[in-house]
Formats: sequence, C-alpha cells, structure tokens
Amino acid sequence: MELLEKLEILANAAKYDVSCSSSGSTRKNKAGGLGNSYASGICHSWSEDGRCISLLKILLTNYCIYNCAYCVNRSSNDIPRAYFTPDEVAKLTVNFYRRNYIEGLFLSSAVITSPNHTMELLTETVRKLRNIHNFNGYIHLKAIPGADLELIKEAGSLVDRMSVNIELPSASGLKLLAPQKKQDLIIRPMDYIKLQIYEHKEERKISRKVSHFVPAGQTTQLIVGATPDTDLNILQLSEKIYKNYELKRVYYSAYVPVSEHPKLPQISQPPLLREHRLYQADWLLRFYGFRAEELLNESQPNFDLELDPKTNWALRNLHLFPVEINRADYETLLRVPGIGVKSAQRIIRARQVRAVTFDNLKKFGVVMKRAQFFITCRGKYGGQISLENKLLRQYLIAKPKPIQHSSPYEQLSLFNESVPSIPSEVMLSNLTGEL
Amino acid sequence: MLVYIYDGSFPGLLTAIYESYYRREKPEEILAQDQWQHTLFAQEVVIKTDEKKADKVYQAIKDKISGFAARNAYCVFLAEVPGAEMLIYNYLSRGWKLGAKLDFHLADEAVLQVHTVAKKVRQEAHRMLGLVRFRLLKHELYYAQIEPDHNILQMISPHFARRMADQNWIIHDVKRGLAAVYNQVEWVLTPLERPKTISLDETGLFYESLWQKYFSSIAIKSRKNLRLQRSFLPKRYWKHLVEMDESRSRFAESSVLSPQSPVKTYK
Ligand code: SF4
Repeated sequence: MELLEKLEILANAAKYDVSCSSSGSTRKNKAGGLGNSYASGICHSWSEDGRCISLLKILLTNYCIYNCAYCVNRSSNDIPRAYFTPDEVAKLTVNFYRRNYIEGLFLSSAVITSPNHTMELLTETVRKLRNIHNFNGYIHLKAIPGADLELIKEAGSLVDRMSVNIELPSASGLKLLAPQKKQDLIIRPMDYIKLQIYEHKEERKISRKVSHFVPAGQTTQLIVGATPDTDLNILQLSEKIYKNYELKRVYYSAYVPVSEHPKLPQISQPPLLREHRLYQADWLLRFYGFRAEELLNESQPNFDLELDPKTNWALRNLHLFPVEINRADYETLLRVPGIGVKSAQRIIRARQVRAVTFDNLKKFGVVMKRAQFFITCRGKYGGQISLENKLLRQYLIAKPKPIQHSSPYEQLSLFNESVPSIPSEVMLSNLTGEL
Repeated sequence: MLVYIYDGSFPGLLTAIYESYYRREKPEEILAQDQWQHTLFAQEVVIKTDEKKADKVYQAIKDKISGFAARNAYCVFLAEVPGAEMLIYNYLSRGWKLGAKLDFHLADEAVLQVHTVAKKVRQEAHRMLGLVRFRLLKHELYYAQIEPDHNILQMISPHFARRMADQNWIIHDVKRGLAAVYNQVEWVLTPLERPKTISLDETGLFYESLWQKYFSSIAIKSRKNLRLQRSFLPKRYWKHLVEMDESRSRFAESSVLSPQSPVKTYK
C-alpha cells in the first residue's frame, strides 16, 4: 500500500482523540541533533474543524482484536485497514518536523495481535526516533492497557507525555460497550506511570544522570455522551483522577456517532455544547479552586446549557455577592463571573498603585456583561438591574450562539478578544480569564 | 513643531531619547528618515546614531525601570506601527518617574498603549513559530518565506537555530526584503530580494503532498467550523502554508538565491 493511502487511513482513525497539546516539556536539543520542545506548546496549523494541529497524530495501525462498540476501529467494523512500520513513522515524523509542520508525534494504536506486541512496536518507533534519528522533539505515546509494565517503563523514559484513555466514564458503561476491557487494566498503567514519574523525580534530585520519565506528565480522555453518565459523574471522576493519579489534563471528547450499535444512543450530532461546559468546569476545578459538588449535585446533575458553570454557581449563591473589587482577595475575585485568572491578577496588581474603577475593569479584560451584577467598585454598584431581580438570569444568558463551539481550543474565540496568541494551554488559561 | 529625525534603527531611536534628555526638550514627533517629508513649519533636528549613547539609555531603562520595560520598548519598535517612536518615548518618560513599578500602572494610557502593541508583536512572533513552512530546495537547503505584520524575524530566528540545529535554513521576510540565514553554526540577518523562482528538491514535494493529505484527513467533518479556523488562523497567513489551497502552484522551478553581506551575526 502507498504511504499516502496509509497516512489517510491512519490519520482518519486517530482524529477522534482530542488531545493535541505539545506543552509541558522542556527537552533540549542535543549537539548535532534535531528538535527540542517549547514549554507552552506551539500550534502549527488549524484544521477545518477549528482544532489546533500541533502534533502528527496517527495510529500505528487500526487493525484491532477488540470490538468496543463506540469505536470506529472495532473489529466488526468494515473499514479499510492499514499499518505503518516503526521506520515509516519515524521518517514521516522527522521530515514533517524539519519543515516545521509539527511539534512532534502523538502515536497511538489499535491493539494488533496482543497488547504486548502493540506496545513493543510503539516503543520501537520512539526508540528509533530518539536513538537513530537523534530526534529531540515532543513525543506523546499511548500506553496500551494490558501491556507489561516493563515495556511501559522503557517507553516512558523516551517520551514526553503518556496517556491511557479511560474513554467510558463508568464501570457500567465499560461493561456495556467494551466488555473486553476491565477498568483495572486501565487504572494499572496509570498508577504505574504516576509512581515512575515520582520515583524518577526523586532520583533526579540525587543524580542528574537519571533519565526523565514522561516529563510532560500523563493525560487521559473521557467520551461524553456515549453512555448515560451525568455531568456530575464525569466531573467527580475527573476530580478523582487529578487527585489520585496527578494527571496533567483530562480531555473530554463529545461522542461522534460512528456506528449504529443498539447499545449506543442514537444521535445525529456530537454533544459539543455539553463537552464545552465540561471543559469550562474542568478549568474551574484546576485553576479556580472549585470542587465538583459545588458546581453540580444530585438535584442538578447536569450543566445548564444556557449558562456557563461559574455563572450558574453564582446564581445559586447570591448571598456571597456583590464583592468589592478593591478589597476582595484573589480567591474571591476568581469566583466572580466574568473575571478570570488574568484579569484577577491585573486587578490585584493595578490596585496596589491606585483604586480600580469600572472603566479600568473593561481594559483588564473583565467581561462586564456578566461581572457587573456581582461586584462593586469603590462601594458603587454598577449592574443594570439588582441582584435580587428575577430577570437576572435572563440578563446573564448570552445570545444563543451557534452550537458548534466546544473543544478546548475553541473557548477562546467565545470569550477572548485576543484569540491569536496560540499555545493552546496558555490560551486556555487566558480563556478562563473570561469565564 | 520640534521633530527629531533618526536613521530608523533602534540605537538611533535610543540616541534620540538621549539627546532629548540632555537638551531638556521634548520633540513632538520622532520620525525615521524615510518617513520624513520636509515642511516649512517644523524645526528639524537630525539625530546622529551613537552606539555609546544608545547603550547608556538601554542600560538606564534596565537599571532605573526594568528589563521587562526594555523588552517592551524593543517590541513596540519592531511593531512598525505609525507613531511607535512617540509611544516608546512617552512610556519611558513615565518610566523615569515611576521606576520599577511602571508596568503596574495599567490604567495609564502611555503604559496601556505600549502593552497593547507589545502584546500584538509577541503574539505574532509566537504564532509565527508555528507558521513558518520550510520547503526543501536543491542542495539540502530549507527555505521559508514569511510576510508578518510586524518585523519579528529576529525574534523568531534563535528558536529555529536551537531547534533545526542540524540543517541549513533561510527564513525570508519577503515583505521587508530581509532574511535570517543559518549554517548549522550561527545565523545572520541579511538583506535579500524576493527570488523570482526557486528550485525545489523532488523528494521534498513528496512530503508536501503527504502533509496536505494529513491536513485534510485530520478534520472531523461533523465538527466542521471554518469561522473558528479562520479566527485562529487569519487568511492573510494562508499564502505561505503548503496545506492551504492558497499556497499551491505559487512556486516554479530554478532560481538564484544570493544573500548579500550580512549585517549582523548571532551565535
Ligand atoms: S481497543 Fe481501542 S482501537 Fe480497539 S476497538 Fe477498542 S477503543 Fe477501538
């Protein structure tokens, strides 16, 4: 089969994995070598769905021995199949990299022959890149659940980031849609990677000769909307994952209907807005000091699609508002709808030299449309209507937007006037600036 | 009206600031030679660039204000927006008074304007780190053309010297006729005209078609959102991206690339 054709098949098969970030690593180039990594990540292009292209994201093969219902690559699906040799992937990566098309490689695979065999091929590919091609660019490798931990260990010492996808957010979902996968098979490599990261860090404190182990940390992906799990289930799971396994990121992927399986929901469009709300909530967990049960509870287990999670939370906690911009501490400012990390920092900085006014707030990037109801500036309240007014909710609901918005890269264009700044993770933190 | 005329270089501008300080006068405008048209009513002062004076001012910015302020001033200079000189002048004037806290005064117009422009320049430089597209020419030379809004070539070149350390490359700002040329040891900045044609390496073309194929395969059709794509990647940048249709069939065969003598060498 021609390389061109293989690339088409194996890029197509990989595209539902939403993670694309190339951030978090500071690997340096070696003498006479090629490549390094850039801590905040770099986007190289944007595809027609508006997602940033940073890494060459492909599967080594889409031949699979498993038959997970939600997946295009399931063994019962009648689709064109292909596989790359480790050499082909290495060459492709290097040649794309030399032309500055990509930051590096994101290599994943369906399970061919056995988990061990697959993991061995993946590891061989990164070994070639690092040792033969002297390639020091970014590599994100998928760890195959069920593979020997020794194999995962070798791979981990070569790559920048690893991920094990949980995909289905509950054990019951797994049983229904991927009965061949066991939850502890997924958790085991995750736990192992976490431990190795920790051990290598400790050893590196003693000797710099000890190699790095996945310096950019591990991530995972959850599919949203393929199972009946609520947003609360999903968010609590994320919270647990961040806490117990110290993951860098949990990615959410709106389920794209790829099969007519009787056990799967019949939907025509991926639930993009729901995915978007989960990303927003995820930011609130990681950077805003919120806990999952503050945002959702048994009586409201799913996000309001009309309001972002923070505004929604504020409406249920009106007794905490309004807050005085010139006195509130940083944590309190962060909880005001319309104020994000960046604008909160600007407020804190600016008020050291002079009291902040409403006019200033706009320039600091505060979204006044939302913030006005929840703040006072030098004792003055600036909201169009008072906090007690029944119409408040109506005022806060933004004009209906085309529902296509979602995915981590997109939120910016919704909330940030300075879209173009690029590194996905950095941009994302700006974005939250306006949540 | 008092107008300072300088040679258009950054040291030239710093010299102008030096002169203004010691002559205790404030120019109403500071203009590069090539932007200056003589008028009857202006009192012109031609500034002779003096590296020593420029260094003194630069050091003073770092000592009396901050390194951040010095970098901001340089970014605004590279922005090449009309009136940039006076933006820098006013910003630094505030800085002499306010010292290290200058950049906390976010509500101050002079500070805010400089921050806004500097941010744009930094954003474009960062964006360009991803958007430079090298094409493989004969003799193993990787060549890229760019046309950025701001003069960011020297901001991005060190990144590529570190990253593509083992290949020969040229990044050519065809809008400004300026190129960064790297020979696996050091890079130099040199004037370079737009070549009429270039001679591409054939295997190079193969990888370009692979990249185009990858680019079209990776998009999820049911999430198509062209407006969003354009908001991240404005159309004006598409011309030099091999994955975009706009860029096809732009280059023909064979050409001569003859850099003139370098103006500056960086290791
Ligand atoms: S193991 Fe992975 S590739 Fe194979 S069917 Fe399941 S999800 Fe798809």
